[in-house]
Amino acid sequence: MVDALYAVLQRPNFLAVVIIFLWGFYIMVTRYNLVKKLIGMYLIQTSVIFFLVSISAKKGATVPVLLSTTEPVKAAIYENPLPHVMTLTAIVVGVATLGVGLALCAAIYQEYGSLDEEEILKRLE
Amino acid sequence: MSHQLPVILFLLPLLTAISMPVVCLKHRNWSYPISVSTLAVMALVSILNLYNVINHGEVRYVFSGWTVPLGIEWVADGLASIILVLVSVLGFLGVVFTGPTSPKALGGRVVHYYTLILLLLSALTGIVFTRDLFNLFVFMELAAISSYALIGVAGGRALFSAFRYLIFGNLGAFLYLLGVSYLYAVTGTLNMTDMVDRLPFLLSSKALVGGLLFMFIGLGIKMALVPFHAWMPEAYTHAPESTSPILASLVTKVALLAWIRIVFWVLTASDTLLQGLFVFYDIPILRLMAILGALAAVIGAAMALAQRNIKMMFAYGGISHIGIILIGIGQGNQTGFVGGIFYLLNDAVMQAALFYLAGVAFCHYGIRKIDDIGRIGKQSPWVTGSFIVVALGMIGLPPTGGFFGKWNIILGALEANNYISVAAVVLSTLLTLAYFAKLLEGIFRQTSTQLDLKFGEIPFSFKLTLGVTSAAILLLGLFSSTIVQLLLDHALPPRF
Repeated sequence: MVDALYAVLQRPNFLAVVIIFLWGFYIMVTRYNLVKKLIGMYLIQTSVIFFLVSISAKKGATVPVLLSTTEPVKAAIYENPLPHVMTLTAIVVGVATLGVGLALCAAIYQEYGSLDEEEILKRLE
Repeated sequence: MSHQLPVILFLLPLLTAISMPVVCLKHRNWSYPISVSTLAVMALVSILNLYNVINHGEVRYVFSGWTVPLGIEWVADGLASIILVLVSVLGFLGVVFTGPTSPKALGGRVVHYYTLILLLLSALTGIVFTRDLFNLFVFMELAAISSYALIGVAGGRALFSAFRYLIFGNLGAFLYLLGVSYLYAVTGTLNMTDMVDRLPFLLSSKALVGGLLFMFIGLGIKMALVPFHAWMPEAYTHAPESTSPILASLVTKVALLAWIRIVFWVLTASDTLLQGLFVFYDIPILRLMAILGALAAVIGAAMALAQRNIKMMFAYGGISHIGIILIGIGQGNQTGFVGGIFYLLNDAVMQAALFYLAGVAFCHYGIRKIDDIGRIGKQSPWVTGSFIVVALGMIGLPPTGGFFGKWNIILGALEANNYISVAAVVLSTLLTLAYFAKLLEGIFRQTSTQLDLKFGEIPFSFKLTLGVTSAAILLLGLFSSTIVQLLLDHALPPRF
């Protein structure tokens, strides 16, 4: 138990990922306000993106541009660019989804005059 | 030229979608003929691509010359080409069907509506072809965003259903991405073929199991597998009549195809892992898939039996059929796999036909509930006839493709001594029979109100879509041995 706790505390970034993910999930499940649900969704997206960034972080590494073409390539001194590219794409995808979600929220508000899930469900009956 | 076909197939709808808002700025009536002709060309090219793949072997396409594992790779193998013919033909029929049913309230935005349908089809093409896990995520989200917008177009209740779908779908997509990043952290690659070579060295990695679990839950939400299906019936019920056939027949099936790719083209593709086909990292993955499929098959059909709304009933029917496909895939032998894929083809056609019927029933006869369905009865032999064909297919009676799919799945399950799966398929068939008996009773007993109302002839595009899908259901049954042989020759996973 203590060992497991110690292992977790050695990697605070993963702990942060789990906390943000579950926090977002909790908001998404328990809040009735649709915009709050979207905020929870965005927290989940952020946690996954944070995970991608934290697994690719490297101390003392430099940009992935070859320093010299004559010497053999030392992969250890370069930052891996692929996770960062993935992060960028994932952010764009997340923002696009969030935009569609907000547009739907606006349309729902115009239609029902409320953003509260319970109230909307009551009107739908 | 022929090695460019996969990319041409993807670019055709994408470029049309991008140029549509500009071209149709002044002439919004052009959007319908433009999208119909684009998709007709796409269907022809996909058949050409299938012919090419069958005769000359699979086509590997690497983007902008970056070789694997650096670049993104697309592979048009037998399975992808067959599924793509399905996607493009059903997309074409769906757009033809859209013409007279397109939501009236759209007005000038009808151009954007067609743009979204074309975007959805190009994204599905990408999912079918890609061999890159992250690329798969991007296309899945492109397809999902188009679907949210297409469902929300109907307004009213559909907005709320689309919002729920968005919350669920986004959770699924990011769980999948979390799984992909686990796998990337462990293996250091995103390419499926490259990952196969690296997996045998990582057999004890717990991160791999966690990543696979996240990916399965994410894709399970996308394919509306039973514990995660809550978004699906509502979204497809309230979606516009013209969109639900495309969504119901293609989106969930393509997500299932993505999971099949991950299991059979990554996990079981290498020699060392093939022995662990049933027990993989102490988790019997295929057995688990078969059990979840059995649950989905029975629960979906039982829920369908309880519905009064026609589209809701058909949507639950779709959930139960996803389960039957998973049962076939999960047997771990050739017969079951081929049966599952064959049933996937049939199910996509049948779901499209069912939602065309529901669309005709609402747009032409104003019917939403089973209680009113008697109005169709004597008035339209077209609708009643194709309804009977689809009912035979859904229940799984001999002249239709549904029977041969289920037959192969049951044979595969018997081969694997998996009697629970056999029982689940049979039980779900009986429940399907029960809810179709309910519908047929509604049609022929003539207890509905407004029976004396006279309706005109249904438009040509309705007749075309209903006729083609009904004929396809029968043809898939009549030529089932040829198609199964084709699947056995060209669509089996590596080293299976």
